[in-house]
Amino acid sequence: MTWADFLNLLIAALLLGGIYAVMSVGMTVIYGVMKIVNLAHAGFMMLGAYFAFELYQRFHIAPIAGALLAFPAFFLVGTVVYWTLVRWLPKSTQPTLASLLLMFGLWLVLQNIGYLVWGNTDRSILSPMTFSVIHVGPISISTLRLVVFVAAVACVGILELTLERTWFGRSVRALIQNPYAGKIVGVDEERTSRLTFGLGIAFAGLAGALLATLYSFDPDFGRPFLLRAFVIIVLGGLESVSGVALGAMVLALVETFSILLVPASYQTAISFTLLVVVLIVLPGGVASLLARKRRLA
Amino acid sequence: MKGGLGARIKLMLPWLALAALLLAPALGLGANLIRLLFITFVWVTTSLAWNLLGGFAGQVSFGFAVFYGLGAYTAALLIDAGISPYLSFFAAGAVAALGSFLVGLPTFRLRGPYFAIATIGVSEAVRVIADNLAITGGASGFRIVEKVPFRQLEHYYTALGLAALAVAVSLLIEHSKFGLGLVAIRHDEDAAADVGVNPYTYKLWAHAVAGALTGMAGGVFARYAAFIHPHGVFAFHTSVYILLMPVIGGIGTVLGAVLGGVIFGVVEEQLVAGFPQIHLLLYGSLLIFIILVEPDGIVGLFGRLWRRFSKEHVDTDVTGPRPDEILRGTGGA
Repeated sequence: MTWADFLNLLIAALLLGGIYAVMSVGMTVIYGVMKIVNLAHAGFMMLGAYFAFELYQRFHIAPIAGALLAFPAFFLVGTVVYWTLVRWLPKSTQPTLASLLLMFGLWLVLQNIGYLVWGNTDRSILSPMTFSVIHVGPISISTLRLVVFVAAVACVGILELTLERTWFGRSVRALIQNPYAGKIVGVDEERTSRLTFGLGIAFAGLAGALLATLYSFDPDFGRPFLLRAFVIIVLGGLESVSGVALGAMVLALVETFSILLVPASYQTAISFTLLVVVLIVLPGGVASLLARKRRLA
Repeated sequence: MKGGLGARIKLMLPWLALAALLLAPALGLGANLIRLLFITFVWVTTSLAWNLLGGFAGQVSFGFAVFYGLGAYTAALLIDAGISPYLSFFAAGAVAALGSFLVGLPTFRLRGPYFAIATIGVSEAVRVIADNLAITGGASGFRIVEKVPFRQLEHYYTALGLAALAVAVSLLIEHSKFGLGLVAIRHDEDAAADVGVNPYTYKLWAHAVAGALTGMAGGVFARYAAFIHPHGVFAFHTSVYILLMPVIGGIGTVLGAVLGGVIFGVVEEQLVAGFPQIHLLLYGSLLIFIILVEPDGIVGLFGRLWRRFSKEHVDTDVTGPRPDEILRGTGGA
């Protein structure tokens, strides 16, 4: 492998990592605050993809703009879902069977809605940008992937800032760290949960719409990404945005470079293998390793 | 056990059902009805198997299709090679149990949602491998050539025997120290560990027994179907079905798992076959409804009706632990 090949792969992995991060943060915030593993994340990603698709087909809105529009739209959807279904679940400080199965049922419903509305044919979004490539010396970068990466990183950055700087963000972090103490100092758990759920679904929709610009999709679109998202949040230690960014990069690097060794049809097996390795070697994720180093230092 | 009428009926129910089903073919049932019963027995077996791990121990798995598929392929390959079908079924169970250790050894090390999500990953990975494996015919499937005449009743009795075995195993486990240990793990892992129950090994063994039963069910099904392919036996929707049945019937109870399997078998084969385009919608809404409205499933619903209409206030505990804390409670998944 030449240096140029290596650099090309590295850049491809980096760009992929950005999308992976945006697709996983939604699951992380919901898990952090409510301890719900949102299996319906896959369903909302699929709907996000079709959202961008419809906007592009009907109103000729650029797919990236469509993805950004998906954010508020899915935020609304998320709050409605929270209000109608999720808030009736028994509250708990650890994931419950009931929450897992409820989100799973919701995923099945969303998937079926996808099949009813759009059928099971593969769709894709082809915009003028799809095939354009930027050349820098021996390195070539897909323009679209670069734009998607920038959008993804911007959104994750804004989320991180929101969590750091605002009262809402402080409430979220308080509930993640210690729900009881949070409530004692006046965090409105119900409201924070509702907003967090909306935010998580908004990120699912955004990620789905961004992914739709790069890959073809059908109503079963989210499933392979659900596993990846889970691998990423396990790598990232389950509850922090920076951990997720790190986990996303690790998975993207492993996936991209494993192409050199393993046939592409075994890609799903790679994320699973990585999950198993992480569970055995570092149960707290990569982030916990860094935290331990810091504590030792 | 109290001597109430309800309690006595409940004790006799499995024997009555078994006797009726043993004699049923003699009444001259049509081939189609026999097929329906056969499929239902297979589903009941998988439902009971899932319930051992998901219901008793509270570990939700979305990956039982792995065992079903492993069993189906093992039996298919062996029968095709001319080995006795019954030996093949046991081999199918053994291979599936082995597979359960491969899945369980890493994933049971941690609590919480890890196991549940990892099982989605396992089923994806295994299906991808089955799609690409040459010995099993890859994605185009595998046809079993058995050089004996097709006797439907033999299949019927095999499946009935397997379902009876699954009921017996479930009841034995439920009333054993092992079963109590599993329930203790479901309630509180730390407390269970404190009283000498090792959650890790208990879960592993429950997983293995469940895997073996599911694998045997897969094998029995494969022999009947004579043609299997990865997108059938290894498909994600197979896992979904296996999980749905005990939840519909009443998670954590033997009676519930059986009822769920029977209802699902009949509904899936007779009703949903007519509306394939909305079956996910149907199952998804049913799941949501059960979780939010009647977490104890059909057993819970009947139990509530029974308590309302009977004056003797029968101790409903004769069939084992009440399921009501599983989906309502705040314990870990």
